Amino acid sequence: MIEAAVVVTGVTKTFPVPFKRRSVLAVRDLSLRVDAGQVYGLLGPNGSGKSTTLKIILGLVAPTRGKAEIFARDSTEVASREAVGFLPENPYFPKYLTGAETLRFYGKLCGLSSRALTKKIQELLELVGLTSAGDRRLGGYSKGMLQRIGLAQALVNEPRLVVLDEPTAGVDPVGSREIRDLILDLKKRGITVLLSSHLLDQVQEVCDRVGILANGELVSEGAVNELLAVENQTEVVFEAGSEELTRQIEALINTAGGRLIDCRKSRKTLERLFLDVTLK
Amino acid sequence: MNPVRAGASHKAFSLDRIAAIASNTLTELTRLKVFYVLLLFACVLIGSSVLMARLSFQQEFQVLKDISLGAMSIFTSLLAIVATARMLPQDTEDRIVYTILAKPVPRFEYLLGKLLGVLLLLAISTLIMSALFLALLYSREHAALAATNRQMAGLPQEQLHAALQSIRDSTFNPDLLPGISVIFLKACLLASLTIFISTFATSQIFTVVVTVFVYFIGHLQGTAREFWLQGHSAGWLARTFLAVVALLFPDLQLFNLADEVVAGAAIPLAIFLKTAALGAFYTVIYLLFATAIFSAKEL
Repeated sequence: MIEAAVVVTGVTKTFPVPFKRRSVLAVRDLSLRVDAGQVYGLLGPNGSGKSTTLKIILGLVAPTRGKAEIFARDSTEVASREAVGFLPENPYFPKYLTGAETLRFYGKLCGLSSRALTKKIQELLELVGLTSAGDRRLGGYSKGMLQRIGLAQALVNEPRLVVLDEPTAGVDPVGSREIRDLILDLKKRGITVLLSSHLLDQVQEVCDRVGILANGELVSEGAVNELLAVENQTEVVFEAGSEELTRQIEALINTAGGRLIDCRKSRKTLERLFLDVTLK
Repeated sequence: MNPVRAGASHKAFSLDRIAAIASNTLTELTRLKVFYVLLLFACVLIGSSVLMARLSFQQEFQVLKDISLGAMSIFTSLLAIVATARMLPQDTEDRIVYTILAKPVPRFEYLLGKLLGVLLLLAISTLIMSALFLALLYSREHAALAATNRQMAGLPQEQLHAALQSIRDSTFNPDLLPGISVIFLKACLLASLTIFISTFATSQIFTVVVTVFVYFIGHLQGTAREFWLQGHSAGWLARTFLAVVALLFPDLQLFNLADEVVAGAAIPLAIFLKTAALGAFYTVIYLLFATAIFSAKEL
């Protein structure tokens, strides 16, 4: 059986409203499992409980009921975080530190020695494409660069699980593409990734499995390919075909008892167009 | 990438992690240019020495010590409160606290590291202010000795020696150091109190206001207690109330040893040790209270 990186069992979280008797329900009876090596996307509209769920998994917030585990360790245990790297939504890392100093600080928190860190910092800066900006203070970093240094600090302890809260929020399409590539790179190296997002196209592209939250409840969950497959429909894309060929295919479908639903010129996405013209 | 795995077993308490947080806090405060407050201190010293030109030597030294120790006390206290009050709200607002606590860092270590960073800042500031103050005192003493030598050149040696000795006695006395140490300890206590208040405060301004409030109560409570106990036949209710106030609010007047130092009176060792122990006790107690609240806090 595949090892579980994250197991959430029957988690409910309510936040009391100060000076009132009622409380706000953030997450209701949530159970989910993320297998080791998977890229799992937690989706949902704003206020659906995504960030609270991630915080519970990271032990930053205690569940009202239920429990969360990381590699079979209760996430309320500080030691469970040894295997984890976390990038919060819109992080503002210390502006007064340089990129390299930031990584050194977080590396020391993970118990890495100064000697090991010197080499590690260079590797990480290279990985996230910030080698030339390593000596600059974060105050002068762009949003995309901050996100990438955030990802580098999340990787400083060689985590087995990386948790990313809205990793591409506010980042331009080029930066967003780079972060997506980094996530795919992590997957290749066998690192489990749990991310939350509401940018559905990106999630579809990188995630193996998704869970959709609405009003604190998990309303849908499964493998991306299975969830998105439309029963009884097949897409055929071909190039260099004449109009005659298209007509023949339509006729063939009709003869075989099928029904042609749509037939149109393929279009590239707006993102692809943006990347093509800006990266020339 | 080459694997550089952290130690296989997690340490429940790590001095390395605390040192990393403390040095990061000190770097933050240094790069925020809080040391500029020391320039202000230097200006106070220079300004006061200009004003003292018309006083006699003995008066001048007394006033110089009075102003310097008073300014040191105010500056270190202000630095302790203002520098500490911004730390937790700022880290929470910037979500830095999430990235730190998502690493294997216990909350107690986070708070201790932050506090130690501020205490380091206070120690450096106190050292620099003391150096400035002692350098000025030394140079004024030197000038006074030279002037006395000139003025009393024709008088008998015994008289000259006595005059010079009197100048030396009124400048440096061994109680300056305990006096300065107590000022530092008071600032440590205030930093710890501020970090405690900021664990449940809703804003930075709330933390500063409450800490300043406690600061004044701390300074007034000793006087108020004496007045109350002398003027009224204190019943059990009043006594309990005063005991609770005394427990919650440190008697900061006890840390005011500057008057004795200025007057040249010796600070008995027992009094110094008692005051130092009280400062350390409150610093630790407030940190423990802060940990208790911060550990249960939803981030």
